[in-house]
Amino acid sequence: MSITRIKPQHFAGVMALLIVAGFLLPHVANRGIVFLGGVVAINMVFGIAFNIAFQKAGILSFGNAMFFATGAYATGYMITQVPQIPFLLMIALSGLAGALLALITGLLALRRSSGVYFAVITLAVGELIHVLITKMDFLGRNDGMVGVFRPTLDFAVFQIDLSQGDSYYYFIILSCAVLISILWVLWSNRFGRALQTVKSDPMRADFLGTDINRKRLQALVLSGAATALAGALFAPWAQIVTPDLAHWSQSTMPLLFALLGGTAFFFGPVVGAVLFSVLEYNTRTLVGISDLMVGGLLLAVVLAVPGGVLGLLKSVIARKPAKSLVRKEKNP
Amino acid sequence: MDSRVRDVRITTEEDSMTHLKRRTVIGGLGASALTAPFLTRTAWAQSDEPIKIGVVTSLSGPQEFIGSFVLNGCKIAVNQINAQGGVMGRELVLEVRDDRANPADATAAARELIGLGAHLQIGTISSAVALAMGPLMSQEGGVVITCGAGSEKINHENYNKHVFRPGDGPYMRMRAQAQLMAERQPEVTSWTGIIPDHEYGRTTWAVFVDGLLEFYPDIAGVQPEIIDPIIVPYGAGDYRSFITQAARSSAKGIYNSTYGGDSVTLFQQAKPYRLFEDRILMDSANEFIVAGALGTQTPPHWTGIHWYHETNKGNEMSDQLYADYVEMTGDTTPMGWLAEAHAGIYAYAKAIEKAGSTETDAVISGLKGLVWQTVTGERTMRAEDNQAIKDVELIYIEPKPDTEKGYAVTDYVKVEGTSVIEPPSPGQAVELRSPT
Repeated sequence: MSITRIKPQHFAGVMALLIVAGFLLPHVANRGIVFLGGVVAINMVFGIAFNIAFQKAGILSFGNAMFFATGAYATGYMITQVPQIPFLLMIALSGLAGALLALITGLLALRRSSGVYFAVITLAVGELIHVLITKMDFLGRNDGMVGVFRPTLDFAVFQIDLSQGDSYYYFIILSCAVLISILWVLWSNRFGRALQTVKSDPMRADFLGTDINRKRLQALVLSGAATALAGALFAPWAQIVTPDLAHWSQSTMPLLFALLGGTAFFFGPVVGAVLFSVLEYNTRTLVGISDLMVGGLLLAVVLAVPGGVLGLLKSVIARKPAKSLVRKEKNP
Repeated sequence: MDSRVRDVRITTEEDSMTHLKRRTVIGGLGASALTAPFLTRTAWAQSDEPIKIGVVTSLSGPQEFIGSFVLNGCKIAVNQINAQGGVMGRELVLEVRDDRANPADATAAARELIGLGAHLQIGTISSAVALAMGPLMSQEGGVVITCGAGSEKINHENYNKHVFRPGDGPYMRMRAQAQLMAERQPEVTSWTGIIPDHEYGRTTWAVFVDGLLEFYPDIAGVQPEIIDPIIVPYGAGDYRSFITQAARSSAKGIYNSTYGGDSVTLFQQAKPYRLFEDRILMDSANEFIVAGALGTQTPPHWTGIHWYHETNKGNEMSDQLYADYVEMTGDTTPMGWLAEAHAGIYAYAKAIEKAGSTETDAVISGLKGLVWQTVTGERTMRAEDNQAIKDVELIYIEPKPDTEKGYAVTDYVKVEGTSVIEPPSPGQAVELRSPT
């Protein structure tokens, strides 16, 4: 399936809609829904960060949870141990930590493998990170880190206390909007198109002078950094960071979001993250069969609609003119 | 041409019909799914409306076997209280959520329930979740009563006035176990441990050692020999190398704080090595979990238990809880978490009556210093650190091939809580004795 491009005005429209919906949520929903709203916004970034490497550069990673956990643990550690560091710098450093881990993983694995083989290596590295976290005293071992408080943003002339009311929620919405916008620029610009050529026809891209390995590495580092930034936003939101975040099952989440929404679409993981949360939320009281229902529904969607929900919508819209033609032919 | 057009038309009609139905269904489901969370916002508690208690516990996943006891304990307590006229004339109702033993799910559910008016919550089993609940409840204005969360940090380093533990904490439980060994087994003076590699495991061992170092010289008149414990991985499938390591140890007493399925695997694998045949085995908190799984293969061992109905026979509340539980489930072997939840709900009921309000601050004030009757006797919620003072119960389980279950409780004791509880020190870690 070809990659669907999205016009700037359409992107701006969708983003405006998402931001408005995000800002309205605390006024109409209860505390639990608002919390889930923040998680969904973070998951949108998590999903797009995965999809940009998967769909644009053809890098299938089964270990993105390690980048998420890196960001979450880095922020959690700095907030609890060195709170004097400005919070925005903490987030930036957490993103850098994710980028560094992605760089090391890429240097180790990308030149030697691709496709499923690369996916298996990322799965192994992810599990290694998971085990390492459970062994490190300063990261709280199996118990994780608690008391990750929401800090204050200090802009010298004024301060914003993120622990008050819904201020951290709004911070998440705005931060995720910025991150999604940056990822969209990189998805759509020359860099994104160069990644596309690497995926579509690596040999031809090589002949045309594109350094394929370099581009793949850049895509992985970008994906790792963005995922770690999502993790960094998550830590003060949940106020607890545990090794579960690095577990392989967490790595399946962005893949599910992308498949559910449609991997060919920039907003595919966004739609997937929203639908997944709605499914999970509405089956939460069905104790014992909740996971089964969510899993079964996801399987059904993925099997019945391989292009995801957005792929289905696109095909429905594309079919409409044909119907009108048929009607005209039917009644000449 | 005509036939092609007809074919296309027919296909299109069928498609549109199918799509219409699918859209209607999906749209309907989607609309109800999206609106359902918002409809409940009108359900704010009024003064004459039922009092909502939120139950957030593990009803699926690895801790489901504990969560089911917690939920049943809550249900039975609520039924009993409502049958007696409720609390201040108001019924108690439960809003139940599954945390799947996942901190993120637990915190999301806790927040949601507060939004629904259930700011008084109960059911936390996991230590990590219990520790996360403090800041969350402070921020959102709720209260939580834990049901078996074992971390000592709950009432020490991470003390938070919004979190209460109505059961025995690790200091009481492990020190009571050490005291019992000093009394019953004064000749067993060398001890080692099989300790899972996480904070709960290390805490239990450190406190047990503290108890050994205090009670053996005091009661048995000997200095115990503490041999380095064997640290085993959490959730491992193969413990044989650790078992051989323990079998080589000169220790005559083994303290086990592995848990649930890990203990079952370990005890089963230890059988051919005869690890427990000539040693005393003291188990931290498995209650009937290991015995229930291994039956006649169960090694004889002492284990800590939150409540054992035989120990408390004659206590009307205990007898009633046992009868109600058996009637509700048909199971004749309830485990202690049932009583923790039961005691927690009664604590809420008494605290609300004492405070005359269900508001968060009033209930916190009501719970602090509360003295209330439970299935294990009277308990006092220590005002300084929200830790209950209660007697610690221990049972001795032996294999009995001639019984239906393959095992039987052949001894049980109560250790007075005040003799083993640590002094309150909210915000600070307790200093423990360690071998020189």
